Amino acid sequence: MWQYIVKRILLMIPTLFGAALVVFLLMHVVPGDIALLILGTSEQGGDVNLQDLARLRENLGLNRPLYEQFLSWVWGIVHLDFGTSLWSGAPVLEELRLRLPLTLEVAIFATLISTVIAIPLGTLAAIRQDTWVDYGVRVVSIGGLAIPAFWTGILIILFLVLYFEWSPPLVFVPFWEDPWENFAQLVWPIVTVGYRNAAIGTRMTRSAVLEVMREDYIRTAWAKGLHERIVVSKHTLKNAMLPVITIIGAELAFLLGGLVVTETVFTLNGLGRFMVDAILHRDIPVVQTMVLLTAFIIVFVNLIVDLLYAWLDPRISYR
Amino acid sequence: MHQEQTFIVTVPLSPSDAILGQFGPHEYPQVVGDLAKSWQVSNDHLTHTFTLHEGVTFHDGSELTSADVKAGWDKIVFPPEGVTSPRRSSYHMVKSIETPDRHTVVFRLHHPSPSFLSSLAHPANFIYAKKHLDTNVNYYKAHTIGTGPFKLKNYVRGSYIELERNPDYWKKGLPYLDGIKYFIITDTSARAKALRSGRVDIELRNLPPAEVDGITAQMGDKVVVAKVQNISNWGVAINVEKKPFDDERVRKALSLALDRDDMAKTVGPLTGLDTVGGLMHPASKWTLSPEELQELPGYRKDHEANLREAKRLLAEAGYPNGFRTVLTNRNVKLPYIDLAVYIISAWKQIGVEAEHKLEESATWSQSRVTRDFELLLDPYGSATVGDPDEMLAKFTTGGSNNWGRFSEPVVDALYAQQAKEMNEQKRMQLVKDIQKVLLQKAWWLQGLWWSRLEVRSARIHNYEPQPSHWMNRRFEDVWLAAK
Repeated sequence: MWQYIVKRILLMIPTLFGAALVVFLLMHVVPGDIALLILGTSEQGGDVNLQDLARLRENLGLNRPLYEQFLSWVWGIVHLDFGTSLWSGAPVLEELRLRLPLTLEVAIFATLISTVIAIPLGTLAAIRQDTWVDYGVRVVSIGGLAIPAFWTGILIILFLVLYFEWSPPLVFVPFWEDPWENFAQLVWPIVTVGYRNAAIGTRMTRSAVLEVMREDYIRTAWAKGLHERIVVSKHTLKNAMLPVITIIGAELAFLLGGLVVTETVFTLNGLGRFMVDAILHRDIPVVQTMVLLTAFIIVFVNLIVDLLYAWLDPRISYR
Repeated sequence: MHQEQTFIVTVPLSPSDAILGQFGPHEYPQVVGDLAKSWQVSNDHLTHTFTLHEGVTFHDGSELTSADVKAGWDKIVFPPEGVTSPRRSSYHMVKSIETPDRHTVVFRLHHPSPSFLSSLAHPANFIYAKKHLDTNVNYYKAHTIGTGPFKLKNYVRGSYIELERNPDYWKKGLPYLDGIKYFIITDTSARAKALRSGRVDIELRNLPPAEVDGITAQMGDKVVVAKVQNISNWGVAINVEKKPFDDERVRKALSLALDRDDMAKTVGPLTGLDTVGGLMHPASKWTLSPEELQELPGYRKDHEANLREAKRLLAEAGYPNGFRTVLTNRNVKLPYIDLAVYIISAWKQIGVEAEHKLEESATWSQSRVTRDFELLLDPYGSATVGDPDEMLAKFTTGGSNNWGRFSEPVVDALYAQQAKEMNEQKRMQLVKDIQKVLLQKAWWLQGLWWSRLEVRSARIHNYEPQPSHWMNRRFEDVWLAAK
């Protein structure tokens, strides 16, 4: 088991390196130059002259050969130096540290809430298949899938502004500094994102439970005269959980960086918007570090999911 | 700040800094003293002598002297190695800066310059401490130690900038506000909602008319909406090296096809591009009168006649059925995309089929500098009074914002002449002549002038916006009524 984990972690290295290389090359294929953006794209004009441009490119290290730029970045990573944002001039790690707590909080709570809702609701819909309970759950969950999270967000804010003349606070305050302020800012984004994820989770749980309920061993359990509670919780649910946790894991990884529009709608200073801004600014060190982080999270979450498989299903073992 | 290009940086820092002479918060377009108590101009207009206020201190307690003024201004006008000075061409007339004593600064000019004082008052020309510039010329990229009424308290990247009252401000009794907090909100609709819920008291960028209607419907007299006719216009730059745009008839036809009155009526309510004018701000003394504009291609009221003329010119140039081309544009809805959609449909009337090529900002700015375009939607504006020196430099040979890279010797000569003409009447005539030549030959297609809507809480007093994002951002005598 431990050997397996170490092997998986070692395998991460080429994956992350490959992802970083692909992104680095892509960023150089796309037209656009951060030096030009720094010197001005605004309506106010100003003088963009070629000497200034050349000097700025030199200062930013953009005139070095591509392989040198990439290798110096990799060398920095090896030393845990993630580089400096070309746009803001601040270390990338500092920029991440500013935004990570908010993103983590939204992602973790949205996942928790959606899981707590999805598994009981999905199970209930399955064991009461084709009753009004099932229909109700299906309507709500299809709604969650069909309505984009940011749109729900816009409607929520509009409702709050129109009827209560209130909108969420604009600045992130950590929970331990001011729990109420933190709650007031993040509860709505967590609800909007959580609803969508709960809908996905509910649908997945329902179909997985339905499938397992048709298995022979469940029929055997019924035949033994076991109580419904035991059949569902011990025999059905545990076996139905494999696809559900896969989906939950994938969604969690997505939330840690993929909430661009929701962050924009709720004025959240999170990682998703940070990454998109960096791409638009051609801020290569930031984009590379973000991609590395995202790839790491995805690989890491997948590893956890795989380990959970073994715990849920004794037939699976890793060596 | 001297190296910065965008008002987004100047706006939140203006309250913590000061400049030599400024557009007074209540006196625009007049330049009034800021750190300068007074100034004298020699009879030959070649020497400007500024006397500084005494007892002005930086936020660290050190005293401001003429050496600080010279240190910063030398870097703006004569940038040393490693320093970018994006506005230095506005100060080409400055020959030297001298400091005869601790509180006197003398600017000597190469030639008399009618625009010198207003260029000097550009809101980004903060006066910094010499000692910091001497140790590190880029010191102020990471620090704010100015002489202004507010001090930086907190800055969280991507979220907010907070300033607090400077208790030692040299103007006794000011500022009135205890502090200012700037929230960085990129989404237009989120900004509007922050206003509606009272999370913010003022929106400093611009809100589209539809959002403003929603705000006023809900908040009534709790808000004040100011419509500001900005010194900003949008037009079309033409790459004259690409065929058929080297042909004056073709360029004229493109201009004739635009019914500017109808354009203002159609795109104005969506974008704020609502005013027809020449190449100088329509509310300024330099503007061409409606009668003068009538004589120029594309401004005559009889649009049917304009279209007939355009088709005739295209046929003469060898394009009786029009031609296909590409209009490169920035992927930003307001006002870029909305304006371009109108222009493209207008050109269809004369058979010109322009593909709307949208590029995100980074790519667009590269296309602009490298001239990788046929036609380009081209914004332009001024952070000061929109003096002809500033606004028309774009249309001179080699001008750094002359994206189409055309060369019109008549305009170059007139431009050089007006830059030294101290007689205002004569200068006005020269400026009108320049506009007439440019519009007549359609070297650049003028679109429309832009008005922005600035919404603020009615609790804000003693404040009116000025016609550029850069201006009047000090807020030193602004006050907020109790709730």
